[in-house]
Amino acid sequence: MLKTIIKREILEYLKSAKFLIGLGVTLALAVGGTVINVQDYRARLRDYQAASQELKSDRFYIRLYRPPEVLSTLIQGRDRKLGNSLTLTYLSIPSGTSGYMGEGRSQHNRLVSGFAAVDFAFIVRVVLSLMVVFIAYNAVSEEKSSGTLKLILSNRVPRDQLLLGKFLGGWFVIMGSLLVSGIVSVILVLSHSFIAFGAGEWTRLGVFLGLSALYLTVFYAVSLFVSVLVNRPSASLMLLLQAWVFLIVIYPNLGVVAAENFYTLPSQEQLAQQKAAAFQPYAAEQKKIQEDFGRAVRSGSGVSRELGVRNVELRSLQADLAYQVDAEYGRKLTAQADLARVISSLSPAVLFDHAAERYGRTGMAGYERFMREVYRYWQQHAERSKLIYADREAYKKAPPIEFRVPVESTDEALAATWLDWLLLAFLSLTFFALGTTVFLKKDVR
Amino acid sequence: MKTIIRKELLDHLRSVQFAVLLTAAVVLFAANGFVFVQQYGRLNADYRKAVAENDRRPSTTMTWLYREPSPLLFLAEGGEKASPQGYRLSPKLTLSSLPARPANFKMPAIPELDWAFIIKIVFSLYVILLGFEAVSGEKERGTLRLVLSNPVGRVRLLAGKSLAILSSAAIPLLAGFVISLIVVGIFLPAVLSLATLARVAFLAALALAYLSLFTFLSLLVSSLIPRSSLALLVLLAFWILFAFFIPDTSGIIAEKFSTVPSEYEMAKQLGPTIQAEVWKRIAAIQDRIKSGEIKTEQAILDEADRAYEEGQDSVRKLYDDYDNVMRERAGLAQSISRASPAALFQYAAESASDTGPKAEARFLRDVRNYSRVYDDYILKKVGEVVGTSPWSFSSGAELDGKYINLESPSPEEYTGDRSDFPRFSESRSSLVDGLRDGLWDIAGLIVWNILLAGLAFSAFLRTDVR
Repeated sequence: MLKTIIKREILEYLKSAKFLIGLGVTLALAVGGTVINVQDYRARLRDYQAASQELKSDRFYIRLYRPPEVLSTLIQGRDRKLGNSLTLTYLSIPSGTSGYMGEGRSQHNRLVSGFAAVDFAFIVRVVLSLMVVFIAYNAVSEEKSSGTLKLILSNRVPRDQLLLGKFLGGWFVIMGSLLVSGIVSVILVLSHSFIAFGAGEWTRLGVFLGLSALYLTVFYAVSLFVSVLVNRPSASLMLLLQAWVFLIVIYPNLGVVAAENFYTLPSQEQLAQQKAAAFQPYAAEQKKIQEDFGRAVRSGSGVSRELGVRNVELRSLQADLAYQVDAEYGRKLTAQADLARVISSLSPAVLFDHAAERYGRTGMAGYERFMREVYRYWQQHAERSKLIYADREAYKKAPPIEFRVPVESTDEALAATWLDWLLLAFLSLTFFALGTTVFLKKDVR
Repeated sequence: MKTIIRKELLDHLRSVQFAVLLTAAVVLFAANGFVFVQQYGRLNADYRKAVAENDRRPSTTMTWLYREPSPLLFLAEGGEKASPQGYRLSPKLTLSSLPARPANFKMPAIPELDWAFIIKIVFSLYVILLGFEAVSGEKERGTLRLVLSNPVGRVRLLAGKSLAILSSAAIPLLAGFVISLIVVGIFLPAVLSLATLARVAFLAALALAYLSLFTFLSLLVSSLIPRSSLALLVLLAFWILFAFFIPDTSGIIAEKFSTVPSEYEMAKQLGPTIQAEVWKRIAAIQDRIKSGEIKTEQAILDEADRAYEEGQDSVRKLYDDYDNVMRERAGLAQSISRASPAALFQYAAESASDTGPKAEARFLRDVRNYSRVYDDYILKKVGEVVGTSPWSFSSGAELDGKYINLESPSPEEYTGDRSDFPRFSESRSSLVDGLRDGLWDIAGLIVWNILLAGLAFSAFLRTDVR
């Protein structure tokens, strides 16, 4: 019985003009967006490779680069917006990355601001979720208003089976559309010779598709619920579209506004004061050493070993203390962003975005990891720089310190996003249960 | 005609869409007002403090030029928060931009909740929701036949419908404007000047032009596609295309198609090319000392100064070129996104509220003009204008066993009376300037209106009403 209902539903959908138009629009946008993103990835990759080859570190200026992430072609996240290069010396550790022109100069961020990405994640979040609403808004209300619901239920079809059949029928159609647009996008990405996915990418892509399926299921369950609840198809469509705008556009925005107000951040002035206060115990000594150092350089007499080593020690200590203040500030930024996410965590779009960025390695988590590695690297570099005065020969011979771009494993990404899955599943089940309850009690005349 | 409008308007006003739109407008515009009040208060306090600080220590080596926060940020923010707060100016027009007030870059990237955004995204969608059924819905219900069996011209009917849709959107819009202005007026009465209100009126006119083109689009699609749910689907596809797809991809497309070098290519010239150039010349000085070509210490210092100075000039020029390149590319991205009426409206709204790239470019012009005044002042006080760059070079040479320290020259601080230090002031743009800046975008909106209205009317005239 269930099979018959599902089959009938699927055929109905596949024949409908709204499905064909919806799928056509989705595919067109997915293809357009992916082609653009792949071209962009190619340009960023080329710059990254050229920079690693040509703008190399010397012993004083260390240049580190953050490679573009291959899955950013599908889940762009913040991969484009966060900078891709930084320069450090034992005198300074930058608290973040910037464009190739360097901190304070690069305008890479300014010019992409306002331009969000149209990637596959966008297709799922906005376009497919809208299509889900369109597929499901009249699943029950249409049959009721056209009177066929009575007829079906006059047969020996239990109501729960009918609803489950309707649910699954539509669900398969949606999953089919997701799969088709996903496969088309992935094929487009992989048709470029400079892109290859490893096992990790395939796994994360698979997990991402699972997440997308769950995300669309939430919208589907909500749509079905409204369709059961509201008798007029046009009214249920209006209600759903308004819920859609609220969940995707307005609610996440209000979450950020609220977090900014509830959680205040220290000002730049306060940070500067903290940095100065942290270094205060060493300030007098450093001033004296600077003077001695300057005198020694100007006179040409050379810097003594003790003076040189102590100078490096103090300067790198100052950089380290400043970095600690910046790092603490960074943790506050994270806390504020987390608060925004918590406030708007009932929006499926917010949950989806958070987890998707994780799987694409294009979110904040990957960036934070990179910056922690930068700090570890700096510690080694500062230690080595003492050799300039302690043992010049050893300094010259010391091999360059290797920098490894850290990556998050799929397991870690999954572990960090279980709550998003749980909440999405909770939302789906809740609305499905609500829909079923209302349908079982519904007056079908 | 009046009857049609009244009937349609009453229909809309009783609909769920209208109630939701009204609520959404009230919530969004009130939130906009409160957020602006807080932000502007902070921005303005920071600005005044920074300017006072700079006035306290006039200097001939560097001075800080701050940009006054616009009191119209709540109309269209236009990326102002991410643009520099101002510039640190050193002699010879050496500019370093003062980073934008640090926003939390870890926050999810969400658009600024300004008037332009609310109108551009939310109201355009609601116009579609009000209008998609206008023809196809009546056809489905069979009322269109009935209406047209009365002595009502089709043109009049459609005009009446479009006016009714537009006014149903305009009422919540007006309510939203008033609420936002009340919030701003209560907390920041100084902001609500007559000039501000004139700009608000300008923006309101733009909003109507923008929403009316969506009205015509809805009527066009509704006349062409007899099934109202399909008509809505097609309209939503247009909405996504206009509001998201075109504006959001234009940045990347501009990068792809612009002929200007990428940021990396610019950066590549900076390090190896220019820096190496300076060191080569310093090495050449050492060679010339060895060969006996340069004999005195003064000659060595002069040579080194010249090498450094020219190196600095190249660095400055490269940074200037870079800024121009980035601006050019942003301009190209804007031009591409103008294919979407939503972008036309956004840029016109920025012109109306004197924010965005054009306002920023004007500030930079002011800075450049001031730089000449500043250099003249330094010349008068110090006697020479020595340029700097964000890079300083330092090296050494040996002459007859004596070590000579070669540092790049830096500007000299004048310690005498500085009470005549020139003050920096920003030029302000008038409403007429705003109109002129936004002329092409306004023209674009009008063209869209004419085009879509023409198509909508001709489609409706041909539509089979049975």
